[in-house]
Amino acid sequence: MLKYIIKRLLQTVVVLFIVSIFSFLLIRIAPGNPALLMLPDTASEEQVKDMEANLGLDKPLINQYFHYMSGVLKGDLGNSTTYRVPVADVIPERLITTAKLTLTTIILGTLISIPLGIVAGAHRGTAVDFFSMFFALLGQSMSPVWLAVLNVYVFSVVLDWFPSMGTGGLKYIILPTITLAYPMAAKITRVARSGMIDTLSEDYITSTYAKGIKRSVVYRKYALKNALIPVITLIGIQIAQFLAGTVVVETVFSWPGTGQLINQAVQNRDYALVQSMLLISAAIFTIINLLVDIINSFIDPRMRLE
Amino acid sequence: MDHLLQIQDLCVEFKTERAVSKALNGVNLTVDKGESLGLVGESGAGKTTTALASLNLLSKNASHKGDIRFQGKSVFQMKDKELLDIRGDKISMIFQNPLTALNPVFTVGEQIAMVLRVHRGMNKKDARKQAGELLEMVGIPRNRVHDFPNQLSGGMRQRVGIASSLACNPELLIAEPTTALDVTIQAQILELMKNLQEQYNTSLIMITHNLGIIAELCHKVAVMYAGRIIEYGTVREVFSTPLHPYTRGLLGALPSLDEDKKRLTAIPGNVADPRKLPTGCRFHPRCDLQDNKCADKCPEMICITEDHYVECWYHGGGND
Amino acid sequence: MDKKVLLKRMKGNPFFVIGAILALVILIVCFCSPLFIRFNPIVNSTAEKLHSPEGLKNGLSGHIFGTDQLGRDVLSRLLIGGRFSLLIAFIVVILQTLIGTILGIIAGYIGGIVDSVIMRLCDVFLAIPNLILAIAIMSVLGSSPKNLVIVLVVSGWVSYCKVTRNSVRVVKNQDFVHASQVMGAGKMHIMMTQIFPNVTTNLIILASQEIGNTILIEAALSFLSLGIQPPTPSWGNMISTGRTYLMVRPWLVLVPGIALMLTVLAFNFLGDGLRDVFDPKRVS
Repeated sequence: MLKYIIKRLLQTVVVLFIVSIFSFLLIRIAPGNPALLMLPDTASEEQVKDMEANLGLDKPLINQYFHYMSGVLKGDLGNSTTYRVPVADVIPERLITTAKLTLTTIILGTLISIPLGIVAGAHRGTAVDFFSMFFALLGQSMSPVWLAVLNVYVFSVVLDWFPSMGTGGLKYIILPTITLAYPMAAKITRVARSGMIDTLSEDYITSTYAKGIKRSVVYRKYALKNALIPVITLIGIQIAQFLAGTVVVETVFSWPGTGQLINQAVQNRDYALVQSMLLISAAIFTIINLLVDIINSFIDPRMRLE
Repeated sequence: MDHLLQIQDLCVEFKTERAVSKALNGVNLTVDKGESLGLVGESGAGKTTTALASLNLLSKNASHKGDIRFQGKSVFQMKDKELLDIRGDKISMIFQNPLTALNPVFTVGEQIAMVLRVHRGMNKKDARKQAGELLEMVGIPRNRVHDFPNQLSGGMRQRVGIASSLACNPELLIAEPTTALDVTIQAQILELMKNLQEQYNTSLIMITHNLGIIAELCHKVAVMYAGRIIEYGTVREVFSTPLHPYTRGLLGALPSLDEDKKRLTAIPGNVADPRKLPTGCRFHPRCDLQDNKCADKCPEMICITEDHYVECWYHGGGND
Repeated sequence: MDKKVLLKRMKGNPFFVIGAILALVILIVCFCSPLFIRFNPIVNSTAEKLHSPEGLKNGLSGHIFGTDQLGRDVLSRLLIGGRFSLLIAFIVVILQTLIGTILGIIAGYIGGIVDSVIMRLCDVFLAIPNLILAIAIMSVLGSSPKNLVIVLVVSGWVSYCKVTRNSVRVVKNQDFVHASQVMGAGKMHIMMTQIFPNVTTNLIILASQEIGNTILIEAALSFLSLGIQPPTPSWGNMISTGRTYLMVRPWLVLVPGIALMLTVLAFNFLGDGLRDVFDPKRVS
């Protein structure tokens, strides 16, 4: 198993390396002078020349890359033209705000979906099963674009139960949470259901029945653990996605997290920020997925001797 | 006469998307106390289905006719509680595939201990201790009780299965040992089962298509084809004078170490498809002794000697 | 695969049937819309600003879903926008399939270093969340339909590559391929005649699921003003601009939103149904 972990670690390093090259190239593939992209429109000629030197535009590409990366690893991600401070200063607080939303979403998203999926899987073909499939398919078709706006309309405009934007207390976090949680719950219901169905068709379940164990105990104790393994993996992947930035939801609800930051960066043509957010997003996503894989290798005993 | 296990005219059908699969078509079998019966047949003959039916563990898409009685009571009509009491305690089953018969996320100790907790009311600690002793009995060091199945070899996993099936000293053991193991390991396991059988006087149904194992372990043998028993008797009788063409084919397909080189007989044709069974005697399309009657009507089991029964028109069978 | 059995399964699977019918209806209505829409979806008509939906009061020649903030008929915009989005989605999926499949077959069949390199490439694209990658690239390249297609293809080709590669690897090791090799068939011939047909089922299923996904990403991009640009309508940008009027004229948002939901639902049902039809033993 150690071998597996090391292999994944190396893979991650390689991948992040390539991603960094990509983010480095991002502003250089745009038409025009990259230096202009990194500065506000009001920049003077002298500032442009400074930036050009800073980016090392006259040097070979490889040198530019090393210069860029050494900056990144020291924590220098350039300066944000929107906020007029180093990018690195803007990010941590945003990350925490997104993390709060992620936490509430995970809690709500798993609360109903896991029991629903498990029960549906254990009782295939019943009303519960059809309801769960419908619930799941509907959820997967709810684009955050639509669901977010729908929630705002129903709960803010029509019912006036919750505010439609900003932060500040429990009521502000509810709508964005619901918006993110429903599609996630849909996926989890499906995976839990199929996990349960797959598990129940295994030989070892028949052999457990042959030992005289009651059906309810078989479901609750001996099948459940197996069925949940893919669910845990999925939750991990969702966490990774959320933390990497949910742009649409945060924009609609003006939730000041990493997702909204990315959108702002793009709208304001703040390319230092765009470039950095690309790198950071990818890094968060990749590292969390790595952690999920490692945890998975501990939980799933079949992986233990790989 | 009170048989330990009595299967009467058992028919089992499986409904699949394309067709109805007639797995068992009138199986009649008895096992008495202390008796060991070998159940022989090719894959698809219905042996595993018979085993699962004995514990009322058939899958949901199966329908059955006929009956199976354990100690006089029908397993299909028993109340749930009685059935749960019997499984794992009075009747135990050893599954064929050791790689899939054990739950990968529980320790092997737990999988033995669960039987003890449910049927003997032991607490966790005692059950685990006993599980360790059972492991020792099948030749696995007791400290392996905390290991997970994938930390054990195939042969060891099969032995864990044996240990859990013997935990409550069953009256009847239904075993379908795997052929997927090394021959030397197989031999060891057989030796083990032989000892245990002698020690505890357990009745045994040994399901296999390996005739050597049956010769080693069993008193009686039943040959199964297309969901019916077509020959039955003591091992000595049936193996020395096989009557049914199918049995003859099976025995003739064994290479012999001491006789002169002869060609191995291969039984022509394919195993009968449970979805499209032949009319009359199920074996007739492959039989070199067949005649008109064979395609028409299915023969009944007749008694040749006290220790030998067969179902074949060639040897009589039924009213003529 | 037995055609008769497939047809039987198709008819018996409610998800497939509903999805297929709905998807077909939507496709036909949207693609034929230029033929029957009454109003110009792009030209402003300030006199008719923000009319409420009339339903069928004036028959088919009225503003069935009302008008938007620039006086344009919502229904016309809805249909033309849908047409555009669906067209893009189909083009994207076809391109994704081509690129992904070619790379996947190469990776699976040749194996070795080539395989490793292609897999690492896949990993890189998987490392960046789809939408964020799309946003970043669009922001730098500018939002033309061409760039939109490029970006969407780039963020989704990986699944096709992996599916194809895995299928190829499974088939490659099977005996009938070895048998052909023994009989002298060349690598190319084997790839085309034996491996490709086995892969197509998985691809069909994947493609039908990806159409829904592609529509969603395009809608999100358009919503963020990075996708299809006004005045060309797209459900995403209609929802975005309509948001300002949510309090007073909610239909500007609700109409394209419901259309978006129904369309994605239809293709998801279809994709799911196809999976069941091709492999009913499969459980998820």
